[in-house]
Amino acid sequence: MSISLNRRRVVITGLSVVSPLGNTIADLTHNIFSGVSGIKLLDAEFVDKLDCKIAAQAHFDPADHFSKHTYGMLDRTSQMALHTSIEAIKDASLEITDQLKPRMGVYLGTGMGGANSVEEAYIRLYRDNASRLKPFTVLMGMNNAAAAAIGLEHQLTGPNLTFSTACSSSSVAIGEASRQIRHGYADVMLAGGSESLLTFGTIKAWEALRTLAEQDVNDLTSSCKPFSADRTGMVLGEGAAMMVLESYEHAIARGATIYAEILGYGSASDSAHITKPSIDGQAITIQTAILDADIPSEAIQYINAHGTGTMLNDVTESNAIKKAFGDHAYNLSISSTKSMHGHLMGATGALEAIITTLAVYNNKLPPTINLSNPDPECDLDYVPNVAKTLPRLNYAMSNSFAFGGTGASLIFKKIN
Amino acid sequence: MTTPTLDEVAQALSQMVADKMDIDVASIKPDSSLQSLGLDSLDTFDLIFSAEDHFKIKVPNDQIKIETLHDVSVLVHKLTIEQNK
Repeated sequence: MSISLNRRRVVITGLSVVSPLGNTIADLTHNIFSGVSGIKLLDAEFVDKLDCKIAAQAHFDPADHFSKHTYGMLDRTSQMALHTSIEAIKDASLEITDQLKPRMGVYLGTGMGGANSVEEAYIRLYRDNASRLKPFTVLMGMNNAAAAAIGLEHQLTGPNLTFSTACSSSSVAIGEASRQIRHGYADVMLAGGSESLLTFGTIKAWEALRTLAEQDVNDLTSSCKPFSADRTGMVLGEGAAMMVLESYEHAIARGATIYAEILGYGSASDSAHITKPSIDGQAITIQTAILDADIPSEAIQYINAHGTGTMLNDVTESNAIKKAFGDHAYNLSISSTKSMHGHLMGATGALEAIITTLAVYNNKLPPTINLSNPDPECDLDYVPNVAKTLPRLNYAMSNSFAFGGTGASLIFKKIN
Repeated sequence: MTTPTLDEVAQALSQMVADKMDIDVASIKPDSSLQSLGLDSLDTFDLIFSAEDHFKIKVPNDQIKIETLHDVSVLVHKLTIEQNK
């Protein structure tokens, strides 16, 4: 077997989600283009002890999909990731032959890995004064548990890596996975992200950072208001999102349905401040992806923004888009779908990459909901409140930026 | 706490295995090997952990030399007598 370093085309042939907007691609598609919010009152026993009582939870019961023996040794993060890997392969109608196994890998993003298992272990030790922990604690808590579970399930012996760059983790995973195929190290990759950190300890830690949205007094489902003058912050979410990526030749040879092509990927680092985003860093990230795609920046029609809904992010990102695109920034349509699905942290880039793919596939732009009072400092077209249909959406970008400063932009192209 | 009989220990362990492995408790025979019941080394550690919780005992590392469910029952039964004195 030889490895070809030619630049190969990479296409998306399978999609799956567990998300606050549904656990099927059909439900997700309907909800994002209809402007439905997945933000609700958090369903958790500790909710009364929280200042911020809203979240975008995924409705996922592992018992619906796995035996107790299987899900009992997996954190919720891994359960959701494993489920989406199985569904994405089904969606791609991909048969994993013995020949394919060494040429197929798993790249996954997660911010906190097995956060539920780690917190349960601490509760046992510190609150309940237990003298020992469950034997699976390490295996459930480790950051690469989800990717490992996926590799084991499908017996994939290609590269298996976990990326943890906070909010950009799964955009990085998808971008790096596309390069594995582009440069010939793999023919097929499962790429995505998973996150489940709606635990008491983690939400308290986020509260302390003072970046979470205040509950909208009239309608709590409208609490996340990216690019709006009255935005107050982000809403935490959970879920998993998975793509099957493969080389164009491999997809065509087996007659696969292609959703879109991954044309470019760029990643850069702010290295300016641990939380404060940098216009320069974000602009460089965007420009790097455009260079990689080898298209004029004017070709981009739509951007799925990072758009967290914090005061700082949304104005910084708007300015970074202006810096990267110049006058073309005012021709772009931009939306923050976090207004509907919240911030899935390590899984958010993958969910937004899937939404951007669906936008390209359907020639339709999802809206930024809760945007009736625009911030004068955010003066671009944010597709307010209602989805938009284009005659043809050829090129779209998805942005992810992160605490720690690692940014990632992905460019998707319509397949002719 | 009254020390359980060997039979009671075996019954409780069979139920634990059935719950963990999603199998019918009636299909579990006392002399079944753990491997034949689908338990790998990690599952075995998990079973021992549950037994320790249930019977309030501590199984020393050097005593985990077990192949069948009966081996586990005998070990757990012995420790319940020793450690509940």
